[in-house]
Amino acid sequence: MTKRLTRRDFLKGSAALAAGALTFNKYDLMKVFASPSVQLSGQLRILQWSHFVPRYDTWFDQFATAWGEEVGVEVIVDHISLGDLPATAAAQINAGEGADLIEFLSPPSAFEQSVLNLKDVYEEAVNRFGEAVPLTVRSTYNPFTDFYYGFCHGWVPDPGNYRVSLWEAVDKPEGPSTWQDLIDYGGRIFAEQGVQLGIGMSNELDSNMAGRALLWSFGASVQDENGQVVINSPETLAAVEFMYELYNAAMTPEVFGWVAASNNQLLLAGQASYILNSISAYRTAQKDVPDVAADVSFTPALTGPDGLGFASAHVIPIYFIPKHAKNVDAAKEFILHLTANYNDAVLQSEMYNFPAFNSTAPDLFAEGGWLDEDPYESRPPDKLASLREAVNWSTNVGHPGNANPAIGEVFETFIIPNMFAQVAQGNKSPEEAVSEAEEQIIEIFDRWREAGLIE
Amino acid sequence: MSVAEQPKNPTTSAPKKERTWEYALDNERLLGMTLLLPAVIYIILLVAVPFFLAIAYSFSDATIGDQSLDFVGLETYERVIKNPTFQTALYNNFRFTIIAQVLVTTLSIILALILAQDFRGKWLFRFLILLPWVTPIALGSVGWLYMLDTLYSPIDYVLREVGFLANVEGKGEFVRSLTNILQDIGIVEKDTALKLNCEMRGTREICFFNMQWLAQPDTALYSVIAVHVWRMLPLSTIIILAGLTAIPKDIKDAVAIDGVGPIREFFEVTLPLIAPITGIATLFGLIYTFTDVIVVAILTKGNPANETQVLPYWAYLKGIQGTNLSEGAAIALFMFPFLLVVAVITLTLISRREVT
Repeated sequence: MTKRLTRRDFLKGSAALAAGALTFNKYDLMKVFASPSVQLSGQLRILQWSHFVPRYDTWFDQFATAWGEEVGVEVIVDHISLGDLPATAAAQINAGEGADLIEFLSPPSAFEQSVLNLKDVYEEAVNRFGEAVPLTVRSTYNPFTDFYYGFCHGWVPDPGNYRVSLWEAVDKPEGPSTWQDLIDYGGRIFAEQGVQLGIGMSNELDSNMAGRALLWSFGASVQDENGQVVINSPETLAAVEFMYELYNAAMTPEVFGWVAASNNQLLLAGQASYILNSISAYRTAQKDVPDVAADVSFTPALTGPDGLGFASAHVIPIYFIPKHAKNVDAAKEFILHLTANYNDAVLQSEMYNFPAFNSTAPDLFAEGGWLDEDPYESRPPDKLASLREAVNWSTNVGHPGNANPAIGEVFETFIIPNMFAQVAQGNKSPEEAVSEAEEQIIEIFDRWREAGLIE
Repeated sequence: MSVAEQPKNPTTSAPKKERTWEYALDNERLLGMTLLLPAVIYIILLVAVPFFLAIAYSFSDATIGDQSLDFVGLETYERVIKNPTFQTALYNNFRFTIIAQVLVTTLSIILALILAQDFRGKWLFRFLILLPWVTPIALGSVGWLYMLDTLYSPIDYVLREVGFLANVEGKGEFVRSLTNILQDIGIVEKDTALKLNCEMRGTREICFFNMQWLAQPDTALYSVIAVHVWRMLPLSTIIILAGLTAIPKDIKDAVAIDGVGPIREFFEVTLPLIAPITGIATLFGLIYTFTDVIVVAILTKGNPANETQVLPYWAYLKGIQGTNLSEGAAIALFMFPFLLVVAVITLTLISRREVT
């Protein structure tokens, strides 16, 4: 008698595969394979970050090698820390030597003049997998120059992580749904239970995301759809004033000195009632402090006074091909191959990565799929289910416009988190802080405009 | 057999060559140039080329993605100077450097005087003092990052145990012996902690978990300075110690015969004699501290709100992370005049010392 493989069996098998680290057979590594459109040979060098989930890197290296063996290409993957990527990429581009394929976790828009236009790869991907998630296209396409400076294969949601027991104690078990809830209920949790919440305002990635989420939810933004600077607005002032109140009601100075790992650590230490982060903090808690993990739940983007609610994609993995690349064909074919197998990429990243093309990860979104029954043993199993709608409240860093080099420089020099911090610390009035930020942002935009890369 | 057909003596031509080579080695000018050549090549490739490239970048509109050198005059410098973060970074460079070096010089003279004495366990004391210098600065800074951590700082643990920090409710339950002493002499009220980790927000007193050293402007500033002092102290101490041991014994004997007291001896004899070498140690420290990027990059990343930002790290953020290569180069070049002056003074001091 043969037993039919149920979805549950499949999920368990997938989890076992994922958990048992970590050699994969060729079938597991090549579930979807399309023969390259041209004959490939030689070497393909890939430079990318050491993924937050080590399992992903183990899988990825074997996946890339298996593809290389199939198509006759020697694939060499270099993983380096996220912080070292910009300098390494810059050095390679300057030298005209190095990797054929480089992955950034933010839009590499400033590299436009040194990389290849990947329009053909996008068109082929759309042809094979359907339309891409809009925020991924807005993070790789410059409409002003009609240039695809990168190819985004995935993105990472940035939900709110809250401690259910703390919010239950203030009669809000479903957690915050508006920014005002953070003051009303988060403030009460801080006053009554001594546990603060953490929205970063420092020179680091999470603070950049959090600050932008607040701005967008208040109807403010750094630029408009046409790439014009609109930071100095009544909406921005309202957001900055709100942050001042929020800090005084429910936060401690630690948020001014945070690094990227700080909000994770705070949650794990049981010292945070709410943080804005990807599910990485939760995954770490599952391994290190299961009690805290069991008490964590997720909220969508918080809404502002007019009901708008946006969060930034936490990170956004984007491949680009430098002009110096020696094996362009192989690089393009590999991008398409990875995209086609994104179901496995999602699984091996422990659902950290979401697909840029939804059709490529059917087991993530299906009813009863991984979001409903987390293969990594969430309790309850559907803890991540709210992320199914994440694409509706997530957006790109240049929202409501596209990412561009000016937005990138504003992002990487942390102008927005510092604008909030200066007011929250009481060092500047909201008007002064916003005006100072505007001055710096306009200057950055002017320079990139002169370079011909923005409108 | 004709003369021309005689077999050649294989040894007859070799001495000529050897003599030429020996002559070359005897030529001090040539030998000197040969020995200097590796250092010159090193300096040209790794110092001069990047330096002049940085100057070229700073007068261009180069970015990471387009490193072509289109001349834009002083435009980049104008932009850099107007930026408030640059102004803070410039100020901090001088502030950190001067405060740290005053502390380093003072402490290293004291330490050197102690180490010049004979006492039991001196080798261990010397070893411990040297330890920060032999530790890679990146590793040392990571160590301090842990020591000053918001959540797990051992320093805060000790402070809490002795009653300097309140618990998060501000009740001061962790009062221990040191606080009891302070209570007994009336500095601290009975049954309270010092509450260094609390602040008033309106009428409400908020107590934080730990001191949050790296998140508050004042403590972050002190922390950066403290790590610079910790790092530079050993080098400065060893240099000054060498100066102390070089003081001729007959001078010390003469001082002893004259019955000069130790304080007067220090200020009127020892200090003037070690002043030149102390100056050299200080100038080395100034250069190290002024150009250091690691302490701030690891410890604070310029936080909070760029209050601890310094020029080298701001140059990195703007030039590499922000992809604005020309501004990054211009920011870095603002350190050059200071370094040039310090280098000239250092070399002058060293050459004077050589003459005497």
